[in-house]
Amino acid sequence: MSWEISITAILTLAIYSFLAGDNPFYRFAEHLLVGLTIGYTLVVTVKSVIWPEAIQPIARGEVGAAIPLVLGALILLRLIPRWAGWSRIPLALIVGGGAGVAIPAMLKARVLDQMAATVAGASTWSGWFILIGVVTTLTYFVFTRAQTGGWGTSARLGRYFMMAFFGATFAYTVMSRVALLIGRLEFLLGNWLGLLRS
Amino acid sequence: MIKTRRWIFAAMALAVTTALVFRPGLPVSITPETRHVFGVIDSLAPGSVVMISFDHEASSLPEIGPLGSAIVEHCFRRGVDIVGLALFSEGTAAGYDLLSRRASVLGRVYGSDWIYLGFRPQYTAAILGMGESIAGVFSADYKGQPLGSTALGKRVRDYRDIALVVSLADGSMPTYWVEYAQARYHERIIAAVTAVMVTSYVPYIESRQLEGIVAGLKGAAEYEQLLGHPGAGMRGMDAQSAAHGLIAILIVAGNWQAWRLRRKRRTMEGASS
Repeated sequence: MSWEISITAILTLAIYSFLAGDNPFYRFAEHLLVGLTIGYTLVVTVKSVIWPEAIQPIARGEVGAAIPLVLGALILLRLIPRWAGWSRIPLALIVGGGAGVAIPAMLKARVLDQMAATVAGASTWSGWFILIGVVTTLTYFVFTRAQTGGWGTSARLGRYFMMAFFGATFAYTVMSRVALLIGRLEFLLGNWLGLLRS
Repeated sequence: MIKTRRWIFAAMALAVTTALVFRPGLPVSITPETRHVFGVIDSLAPGSVVMISFDHEASSLPEIGPLGSAIVEHCFRRGVDIVGLALFSEGTAAGYDLLSRRASVLGRVYGSDWIYLGFRPQYTAAILGMGESIAGVFSADYKGQPLGSTALGKRVRDYRDIALVVSLADGSMPTYWVEYAQARYHERIIAAVTAVMVTSYVPYIESRQLEGIVAGLKGAAEYEQLLGHPGAGMRGMDAQSAAHGLIAILIVAGNWQAWRLRRKRRTMEGASS
């Protein structure tokens, strides 16, 4: 058994010790995880992006590569109150450009295409079921009209659709979390203790 | 209350451990969704290129690892070439590790059968940029070699050279692939995601914005069955079933207990009035 596996196993146990209550082993492992994650992200970003895409081109005399680097550095000026105003330039570019790119794309993919598919799918039983689900759920979220009579029935039906969705989502969440537990126990019992047959 | 919770934790650990050690070998049924994804990859001609994006954090590896491993193995066995990349920094090393392990087992060569582009932040810009030029976004691969220096790197100029994108994700990244690569460049996208994300992506399957979805450890087990090569997914399924059985029993027992207490309280209230 390698020492890397032992360290991983001990840290896993330290994290799971939280189930018995907060303790110094858990806090140590948690702080280590946060620190390592930030350090790793920083190293990957410098190695994969800043060094090859900014520093190296600048060193070759490509001045254009300095523009994003300077704009990125301007954001850091937020930390100095006297010069914090300079950070608004890159932020304005990010917000403006980001919104310009994202809004039409999101509108198309998340609203228009979804609406088209909902209507087009109404040629089958499941398509009708989805259409009824969408319409009744939308009526639940109309807050400018009292939810009484036929409108109230529709809103109630919409609520049942949402409850079914929440139930399915919660079940999938449980499944996902159990899978994480299985992964860790498989590691502890197999890789670390060698109790599992391959 | 805290004591009860600890008993539940202990029971869960015991159920999972027992299933992992004894492995009763419960059957795993294959869903049409996983079969469809398998079929899509199986229908690709040898020499086609699949882009696999490792859009996940290290914490979701128990689910994403088996899923990614099965899909990568399928591609390599079919003679389909792979371009790997990561849009989450934490997925960078995990993705390279997974690809290089499977490649070495199956005898696939770096540079001609697969390449790894590494990590790019700002996924929106990266996904959109690759529609114009992959080399414009990744001038060099993960190893620092210029993209044009490898045979596969030369072949992939933009999405027109990519038959399929597989986003191995534990969050909302497949949505961005749909918004920027599918909607704009008509790229086919498959979401290989953690189980918790399934309900978020089913509407995209219904609308055919996503080509397919395969999810969680169960999805990995199904895929391994289709491949005829049981792995970590199949190994975990017995434990998953044991844990789900225990949870179902606990839910029924908890509700029965709550109903009993409520009835007792009502009886006492009736007697006192």
